[in-house]
Amino acid sequence: MSKWRNIIKIFTYSMLMLCMVNGFAQNDKLNRAQQLLQEKNVDQAMLAIDSVILHSETKGDFVSWTTRAYIYFEIYKRTDKQKLNSALRDTIIFSLKRSNTLKPDETFATNNKKLLSNLSAGYFNLSKTLLMDSINYKRSVIAYNRFKENFIIAEPGTNFTARDVEYYLAVGSLYSDIFNKNNKNTEAQETAKIALLKVLDMQPENPSANINLGIMYYNQAVNLGKELDYGASFNQIDIVQENIIKLAKQAEQFIIKVYKVDNKNVKAVEALHSIYKMLNEKAKEEDFKKKCKELNIKLD
Amino acid sequence: MLLKTKHYICKLDKFLKKLAKSFKYWIFIFCLISLRFQQPSNYDTNAKIKAVFLYNFTRYFEWSDKKKTGNFVIYVVGKNDNLITELKTLSGKKKVGNQDIEIKNSFAFDAAIQAQIIYLLPDVSKAIADVSSKSKSKGTLVVAESPNACKTGSSINFVIVENKLKFEYNKTNAVKAGLKTNDDFKALAINVE
Repeated sequence: MSKWRNIIKIFTYSMLMLCMVNGFAQNDKLNRAQQLLQEKNVDQAMLAIDSVILHSETKGDFVSWTTRAYIYFEIYKRTDKQKLNSALRDTIIFSLKRSNTLKPDETFATNNKKLLSNLSAGYFNLSKTLLMDSINYKRSVIAYNRFKENFIIAEPGTNFTARDVEYYLAVGSLYSDIFNKNNKNTEAQETAKIALLKVLDMQPENPSANINLGIMYYNQAVNLGKELDYGASFNQIDIVQENIIKLAKQAEQFIIKVYKVDNKNVKAVEALHSIYKMLNEKAKEEDFKKKCKELNIKLD
Repeated sequence: MLLKTKHYICKLDKFLKKLAKSFKYWIFIFCLISLRFQQPSNYDTNAKIKAVFLYNFTRYFEWSDKKKTGNFVIYVVGKNDNLITELKTLSGKKKVGNQDIEIKNSFAFDAAIQAQIIYLLPDVSKAIADVSSKSKSKGTLVVAESPNACKTGSSINFVIVENKLKFEYNKTNAVKAGLKTNDDFKALAINVE
């Protein structure tokens, strides 16, 4: 009986020792991972930290998860900064979120927030690159939305309206340019229209969106005129005129909103002169011609 | 262990600050782009439409045999640079029958210029009656762009109806000018007698 008791005692002690050793081993691994990170041996650090976050002893420690985020961040910087979809970035964000749920101390919480903000900034920069360099709105808007998703975690309560307005105005402006250069690019025209209308949803009086949208409609009308064949029949001329008038009136609606708020807005006055000229409204055309002179706007 | 991580965080801080700077830079760039305005095109659609109308008129009138030789002259009296540009482009692309189209322009009417079409712009509207009387029986289509022009001698007059360019037609004046036309044309126009 006492023999069995001794066996059980020894077994229990052994198990306890094993667990303690294992626990120390995990803490050692975390230590080792941090050491490797400092030595910039991030590939080895990654292997170590991945085992740390799986172990029951260390997986509940915010230090493990924050360390993991930093280790992965080092690798991410090397290879994935310009990628829209990056498993490394996803791992960093996941690790930071997990660390935050484990009630980190103030220093760790601040630094988790910093890293998350900067990953968001990375998404923002990526959305810019995709928009302006690659002219890829679809991917750019994905990056932009991810910037917002992550930034709001880092900075809860952030109001994105101003940033959204800037972003969609930039999209509208770029794609209007593309459409104005090539009026057959209706996809660019649609992208610009949708972006500018989004701005007007948020700020109905926004002058840039109203003017750019108005001018886009006006230029679309101009393109109809340009494309009209010299040999077109009276019937065809009539259809083209109908469409030109419709577009010019749509343009007027947007531009007049800006003019009503600011009757010295140079762009609005210039555009309205062109619109009334197109609409054959002589009295208004003359009126805006005078206003153009008053504002020193050169008319061709 | 905590100290080690904190030390690393300090080193990382520098990098993150750099990244934040670039973030602010791109926000600034976005602001600049978003403040940029599009430019309205300075292309004159009305000049183009008038040119297309003028070319269409050539399909509905029959000029005398004498006027069917040499170039088909469209003589514009008055100032409208955009219209002249359009007509010159048209002349490079189209013909009237076998005749090349030639565009002539002067600020005042010159009776010495022989033309199949004389187009009197609004700034020379006072000359309509005089030009029309001088063009009688000469097989010249007088087109004007001024109120009541068809009543003062012009065969065709451009008018604006609900923002649209349309034209009035006075058949009597066209016949007096020595031109033949058909009733199809009458149906397309606002008739003035």
